[in-house]
Amino acid sequence: MNLLPYEYDASQIKGKAKQVIFPQSIGQVKSIVATSPKITIRGGGTGLSGGAVPNGDIVLDTSKLKKIGKLDQQRKTVEVEAGVILDDLEAFLEDYNLEFPVNPSSHTICTIGGMIATDAVGSRAIKYGATSKWARWIEVVDSKGNIGRKGATEMSDYTNMEGITGVIVKACLNLIPKQKRTASLIPVKDLDELLELTQKLKSHESISMVEMLDEFTSKGLGLEEKYHLIAEFEDNTGKMKDEKYTELLNLRDKVGPLLSREGYLMIEDPKLHHNKLKDFLTWLKIKKIPCFGHISVGIIHPRFKPNEEKLISEMMKVVKKLGGQVSGEHGIGILKKKFVDPQDKNIIINVKKRTDPENKFNSGKII
Amino acid sequence: MKEKPTKQEKIQANNLIEEVTEILGPCVKCGMCKSNCPVFKTIREESISPRGHSISLLNKKLEESLFDCTLCKSCERNCPLGIKICDSITKAREALSLKKKNTKQNEEMLKNLEETGNPFGNNPPKGEELFCC
Repeated sequence: MNLLPYEYDASQIKGKAKQVIFPQSIGQVKSIVATSPKITIRGGGTGLSGGAVPNGDIVLDTSKLKKIGKLDQQRKTVEVEAGVILDDLEAFLEDYNLEFPVNPSSHTICTIGGMIATDAVGSRAIKYGATSKWARWIEVVDSKGNIGRKGATEMSDYTNMEGITGVIVKACLNLIPKQKRTASLIPVKDLDELLELTQKLKSHESISMVEMLDEFTSKGLGLEEKYHLIAEFEDNTGKMKDEKYTELLNLRDKVGPLLSREGYLMIEDPKLHHNKLKDFLTWLKIKKIPCFGHISVGIIHPRFKPNEEKLISEMMKVVKKLGGQVSGEHGIGILKKKFVDPQDKNIIINVKKRTDPENKFNSGKII
Repeated sequence: MKEKPTKQEKIQANNLIEEVTEILGPCVKCGMCKSNCPVFKTIREESISPRGHSISLLNKKLEESLFDCTLCKSCERNCPLGIKICDSITKAREALSLKKKNTKQNEEMLKNLEETGNPFGNNPPKGEELFCC
């Protein structure tokens, strides 16, 4: 078996896999977990912090848990296994005029299990928030191989925990009626206009996305070398409709990999309050750090070259000084462990001890 | 006894592997290439996905699974960096062939073609057994 592809995710970190197992049913997950000493759980492998990179462990790849189960059209819920790819779910729901509204840029390949484990946010965060908000319940296999259903009160032990507390195998998701969307690409002259317009757009009744591109990123996409905003609306407000709308959204999904091609392989995801964004974006501009991001919710994606570790640490200090969070959506994984607040770390350690006392799952991640 | 590659064939194969790593060099492992890959969509294993091939080839590991690719170029359409993944897979297959590491099925097909002009030999499957994706 060629293990190399399972020793990476999208974070550029290389790990070491002992073995890869592909359970085809939840029953198989239970027996694998009960008999394996150390497990790294893998979904679509789209993580940018190394959350699915193994540390000499057995890789439990959930890709084959792909059943889409009971759809309740009246209550607008659907039951799905962890390995279902988001776009496959959307394609299934289209026939029923329903959709799952959380939309990370990796929607074509990310799995529902991975989205719940990292509490994926994505570009429509301003309207729909994070994945956990849309999970009615989840089913989790614990370190002994027992399965349990977790409702709203217990779910926080598993969502956003990046797989260190158990294997999410199934979920019941809330849905919304399928939306007809349009978008606009708006060039702005400077940071002041960018932030002012962002605030105005946020108060628009049909807004569902406000994304920011800096001058460097805009130029790389073939746009004018200016700041740009991409605004998405759930009505006919946007100028780009149908195919033009899809083209614009596809362009936005390609921003990350395009900057990687320019050598900016490292991506960060700090989150700041709106009134601190000007200071932060000005600092990035002075340091010539390219960026884009979900400006409506204060998540910015600055990009760095691999030899710019010191600059990343410097940026994290700026983020903390401005009262921001070091990770707004990509998770901690391996890459951001050193930036976790000691108090937060203690809370996570306590949850880990309670849910996975044998330290079986995703060792070496977050804490 | 299994045929061994000549010195010339080894050099050609190594040159091809260099070309493959050059083509795949810009790959950032984002995985977008998997989006519509018919092989990955069916089998759901990273090792037979375009990203899986890319990771293996960049580590100069040439696997038999390279022959699982349909060369449909769906990965190339989805690659944000425009990497010619199928070109690299074709070259890697050629390198495997030069290294005399062809699959049994390929060797049989080549032999059949040489001997009968038909990839299936003298007993081709009946019409109803042939299908196209």
